[in-house]
Amino acid sequence: MRVRLSIMGYFLAEGWESAKRNVSLISLGTMAVSIFVLGVFALILMNLSNVNNHLRSSIEIRVYVEDNLTRQGLEALKQQIEGIDGVDGVTYVSKDEGLNRLVKQLGEKAGLVDILGENPLPDAFDVRVFNADSTGDIASRISDLPHIIGVNYGQGFTEKLLATTRFIAIAALALAVILLGATVFIVGNTVRLSLHSRAQEIEVMKLVGATDWFIMWPFMIEGMILGFMGSSISGVLLYAGYRVCIGRLGPVAPFLPVIAEAAPVARLCVSLVILGVLMGVLAGGVFTKKHLEI
Amino acid sequence: MLIRFYNVTKVYPSGATGLVSVNTAIRKGEFLFLVGPSGAGKTTFLKLLTREIVSTRGQVLLNGRNITRLRPGEVPYLRRMVRMIFQDYKLLPNKTVYDNVAFALMVTEKPRRRIRPLANEALKLVGLESKAEAYPDELSGGEQQRVSIARAIVGDPTVLLADEPTGNLDMETSWDVMEVLLRVNRRGTTVIMSTHNAAIVDGLRQRVIELDSGRIVRDDEKGVYEGEAEYNGILPG
Repeated sequence: MRVRLSIMGYFLAEGWESAKRNVSLISLGTMAVSIFVLGVFALILMNLSNVNNHLRSSIEIRVYVEDNLTRQGLEALKQQIEGIDGVDGVTYVSKDEGLNRLVKQLGEKAGLVDILGENPLPDAFDVRVFNADSTGDIASRISDLPHIIGVNYGQGFTEKLLATTRFIAIAALALAVILLGATVFIVGNTVRLSLHSRAQEIEVMKLVGATDWFIMWPFMIEGMILGFMGSSISGVLLYAGYRVCIGRLGPVAPFLPVIAEAAPVARLCVSLVILGVLMGVLAGGVFTKKHLEI
Repeated sequence: MLIRFYNVTKVYPSGATGLVSVNTAIRKGEFLFLVGPSGAGKTTFLKLLTREIVSTRGQVLLNGRNITRLRPGEVPYLRRMVRMIFQDYKLLPNKTVYDNVAFALMVTEKPRRRIRPLANEALKLVGLESKAEAYPDELSGGEQQRVSIARAIVGDPTVLLADEPTGNLDMETSWDVMEVLLRVNRRGTTVIMSTHNAAIVDGLRQRVIELDSGRIVRDDEKGVYEGEAEYNGILPG
């Protein structure tokens, strides 16, 4: 399907004229809202995935050891742990240092420690791993070593977060299919108006031997223009809206690991515009082809 | 032979019969009249040649190629070789005479530099070069039909099909249109024309195929209309 430049100029002019003639505020608005909602879901997913990554990168295994170990025994155990595949580093946390950390974490309720009298905490190691996915495996291998009385790495939490993210991703995908379907339908209906208003022209084109592709091109370009307009509106609103939200949220909750950089959000908005354009072209092509077969 | 019908039968989905076991052959450069009462199968005969419809049985051959077997993507190229004109002209009202003719060249992707000379040549052949900038509704019926002929012949098709092209015209204008069709035929284009106009058929004495209830009932080399016809008694002088 080779298209000459002069012919492409004709397609563009025809597509633009049709789009101008048939576009309505309602169709553009509905399309923009559909793509906007899609974008909101994508942003939620991106942020959840960001939170997930953040948490996973900060996962450490706390290994508690028996009280009566000598310095040499502790050193030997540390080396054994470091020798396990996937372990990035091991830090010794003495029972006193452990208590200090606990006091800091408890804050106002630090008085609880005084009630206990003596330091109840055992000596421990903090173990960092290269890959968060292998945390469970490594923890289980550590617990098999001698003199270990317990390991703790927030079992179950990351799994739950991952499951939640997966659920939202599936829901968003289902929604995306529906919303993209709506976009195709809206563009398709507008293109159908053009097809009706140019029915006579199409009849003549078929009569004199224009190919289906030749007839379809202007309508696909019309769809592309409509898709571009609708998705650009939503892309701009989404980008601006997100920046405003982040601007407000930042000072209130600085600890939240949300995406604050502009680039990933801008990339998402550009992707949405490209998606809108592709959906528009697809809708223009499919609806015209269907019309030509009648 | 340019065109052959082998045992062609067309039954429409409604059950109506278009053609029944039609066998015929048409030479290149021939001028052929299709006559017969309404519903005899004349339009079916023509539409089979443009692949607007496909035969139920049998083969329609053009230049030895069975066009009933064409893939959908090949049909447009057939229609550049086999063009058709109609009783109602099918001109685009918002385009000038020139643009209507040039449109056929543009949508069949002729290079831009060739469009103007070819469109002007076609308009000259039908005698309308002076009305190139007029719109269809500013022209008489005969002139509009001549524009539609110009549009049909502009890509130099092998066959020109005319479905009752003088059906809406008075006798004098009809002869003007016939003169143009003969001129097109003399350039080498095969012309197949369905008509109810006995004066024209009798006046020109070309090959005549008569259809009745989908069957060929007569095929005369230099035939006349016969049967019931619109005979106005005005013969060319």
